[in-house]
Amino acid sequence: MAPAQVSTAAVGDPLVDLLLESLTRRKATGQVVQPGDAGRAAARWMADAGVARAVLAGDPLVDRIGLADALRREGIDVLTWPTGLGKRESMGLEGPIDVCGVTVPARAVAERGTVVLEASAGHGRGLDVTSRHHVALLPADRIVRTLGEALALTYADGRAAPSAVSLVSGPSRSSDIEKISTLGAHGALTEHVVIIR
Amino acid sequence: MRTCLSDAVAPSVWKASKRVLERCGVTVKVPRAQTCCSQPAWTAGHPDQARAVARHTIKVFSGPEEVVVPSGSCAGMVVHAYPEMFRGQPEEEAAIDLARRTIELTQFLAKHDLDPGPGAPGPVTLHDSCHMLRVLDESRSPREALAKGGCEVREMQHTDRCCGFGGVFSINFPELSGRLGEEKARAAVESGAREVVSCDLGCLMHIVGVAHREGIPLRARHVAEVLDR
Amino acid sequence: MSTRRRRADGGVAYLDVQGTLRERTVDALRDRTLRGNLDTAATSWGESRDAMREGYGLDDMRERAREIRRSNIRNLPALLAEMQANVREAGGTVVRAADGAEACRYITGLARARGVKVVAKSKSMATEEIKLNEALQDAGIEVVETDLGEWILQLANEHPSHIIAPAVHLNREQVAALFREEAGTDEVPDDREGLVAHARVRLREKFAEAGIGVSGVNLGVASTGTVCVVENEGNARLVTSQPRIHVAVMGMERVVADWDEAAHILQVLPMAAIGQDAANYVNLITGPRREGESDGPEEFHLVIIDGGRGALRGTEFEEALSCIRCGACLYSCPMWRSVGGQAYGSPYSGPIGAVITPLLEGPSSPASRDLPFMSSLCGACGEACPVGIPLQDLLVRARARSSSPATRASGLAFRAWSRLWRRPGTYRAWMAGWRLMLRARGKDGWATDLPGPGAGWTQVRDMPTKWPPRR
Repeated sequence: MAPAQVSTAAVGDPLVDLLLESLTRRKATGQVVQPGDAGRAAARWMADAGVARAVLAGDPLVDRIGLADALRREGIDVLTWPTGLGKRESMGLEGPIDVCGVTVPARAVAERGTVVLEASAGHGRGLDVTSRHHVALLPADRIVRTLGEALALTYADGRAAPSAVSLVSGPSRSSDIEKISTLGAHGALTEHVVIIR
Repeated sequence: MRTCLSDAVAPSVWKASKRVLERCGVTVKVPRAQTCCSQPAWTAGHPDQARAVARHTIKVFSGPEEVVVPSGSCAGMVVHAYPEMFRGQPEEEAAIDLARRTIELTQFLAKHDLDPGPGAPGPVTLHDSCHMLRVLDESRSPREALAKGGCEVREMQHTDRCCGFGGVFSINFPELSGRLGEEKARAAVESGAREVVSCDLGCLMHIVGVAHREGIPLRARHVAEVLDR
Repeated sequence: MSTRRRRADGGVAYLDVQGTLRERTVDALRDRTLRGNLDTAATSWGESRDAMREGYGLDDMRERAREIRRSNIRNLPALLAEMQANVREAGGTVVRAADGAEACRYITGLARARGVKVVAKSKSMATEEIKLNEALQDAGIEVVETDLGEWILQLANEHPSHIIAPAVHLNREQVAALFREEAGTDEVPDDREGLVAHARVRLREKFAEAGIGVSGVNLGVASTGTVCVVENEGNARLVTSQPRIHVAVMGMERVVADWDEAAHILQVLPMAAIGQDAANYVNLITGPRREGESDGPEEFHLVIIDGGRGALRGTEFEEALSCIRCGACLYSCPMWRSVGGQAYGSPYSGPIGAVITPLLEGPSSPASRDLPFMSSLCGACGEACPVGIPLQDLLVRARARSSSPATRASGLAFRAWSRLWRRPGTYRAWMAGWRLMLRARGKDGWATDLPGPGAGWTQVRDMPTKWPPRR
């Protein structure tokens, strides 16, 4: 069940290193790859996590890194948002259980391990949270240090506010039973960020 | 300022405070006409009745001297609540002036770098009374005073937690108040010291009263009494 | 402890709560499991929060948070107007409700009009305050709480114990028993992971059925008309994205001016609430789904509740409106950690609950007028508050405003006290008499049975008649 060893060694870029450190604290994982390796690395991580189906954000980056082909080579079923699935299947009540939502964050906040997901035609609001696993494909130049900087960019003057923005900081978690943190309450049980330099 | 609790239960506390100050070379006046800072009525939700008594206190302490109080709670009342109590009243200026001149006993010792000489050797454990800690924002001065006097302090767990006294609260919710007092008394004994000291007599009466009822072997003295001997 | 029953009016306090406040504290003190659970919770909160204070300088962040919230409350009418205009601009509907009854009428009416049978809810104190669940159930609509803790409480038929951690007073075995009963099978695991996984599946079924999702609002951002819903489980995202209609219920004071302010408050909130630098999910919602988008609600309704808040502006209680409902004052409060939230008998418990419940209910409401007295005024709440509300001062002011037979009686007593204690001669005479009485009552240096108000003292403790006291 545990994903394969992923190198989280520092890469010397302070924002990238800080993000990796914060992701670990938030019980998420992260790895840094070259653009040419991104598709293969993401597919490899999903295969190791036991993913049966991936639902990909409709984003040019996903095509650019050749993710769909890499996933098929790993034997993983591929759907692209919007999936056209029925409500029960899109909520994981029917069909395969080990589904992975693949998102492309608009930004990430290094100091607290947050990815910023903006809803759009190609990017559903529930993409990461309805699935059991969540992989985020993050170009390194989208990393900022603080939440304030990220929100200032998201809601910049003259830009229409997205209908929905999700700040995701680690896998779903509940402390409602005996105040002890337990993962996978409603949303994803695992979160992996592939940082593309 | 003698404080009404000291008048009612432990005159030895204000007398010890006076001796400690005099040993430091301070000239101490204890106005005979003083009564109470009015906190009981204020916290019980009767500001008009409180103001009537506080007005008297302002008059009694109208001189230019610093007003030293052997209680973090009474000092906190004057320092923190008097300005609010007299906002928009004729005595507002006098209330603010008194608030500026009022100081708790160990804070006074620390402020003027006074050393009353050797006190009791201890060991004791120190209860941080809430008003000392959070209204006056002070936890160092009693420890410094005790250390200077050569008294060993063994810190208890959660010394910053409330003992459950709370003035009228102790009578309105005796069971809850008693439970917190018991926790405090047990924490005090677990420190290894057999005596709990504090800058506030109210907390001490409560803690030691619960300890006596519950059969917990604990003595209590005011900081001034420990510094005095 | 308390059970949900039908109640008639729209008050804030739970009217089905049994006994006096003091009796409820006595009941709660007898419950050893409850005390153990509360202590575990409060202690782990304290440790995490202390780490935040060191790591991020939370104490310094408080000053700015306080300024932001105070200015928000000062500018409230303008901010609400801006918020309202921007939500409408984004295609949402805004309703201003004067009280809980009006808000409930709107939401039940909407459910009926759209033929909705099941409503899925994420955690919201405001809906607890307006008793929305009861209103929907009275209208024949099924309501499902989807926050794990709230769902557990719904199954247990209880009210929340804490703003952030509602089921903090129940342990794992108690939860497993509730789940078995709900599922009608013994096939429910009793380890924590298993319980969480079980709830995940049961509740997804409900999400798939629900026609309306109801969420609370942690913050409204006026400049863009965005509501912020902060959570850790992911259920609020499902509530706000899966059903066809999303209804967000917001207390009118929860609005900030812009994203600069919002960023600061959104950082302070999880630090104070759970001792973490981020909540797992923050959902920022600006109107319904847009053209071309294939998920998200088709309708977005923002219900803004006054419920007595507006009247607090400009009063000595105005700062209570700064509250961001983080629950830090509850965890820090020695009373709350001794008896839990349910003993308060109102949705808002702890120090902030003891201040605002009687303010929203009125000073003579039997259900809440005693709440401000359940405090030793130790000040731990004010110290813990991330937006710098002087809670201990507000508690004292709330006491002065409370009106009950007990406060009237103590008023008479303090009138006599005040006459005695402003005259040095009578004061000294009274003190001398009192010391004589103590000595007469004392045996071996202790009095164990005092008359009058002293009886409350000697009920649980002895009174030293000599000082320093004898062993």
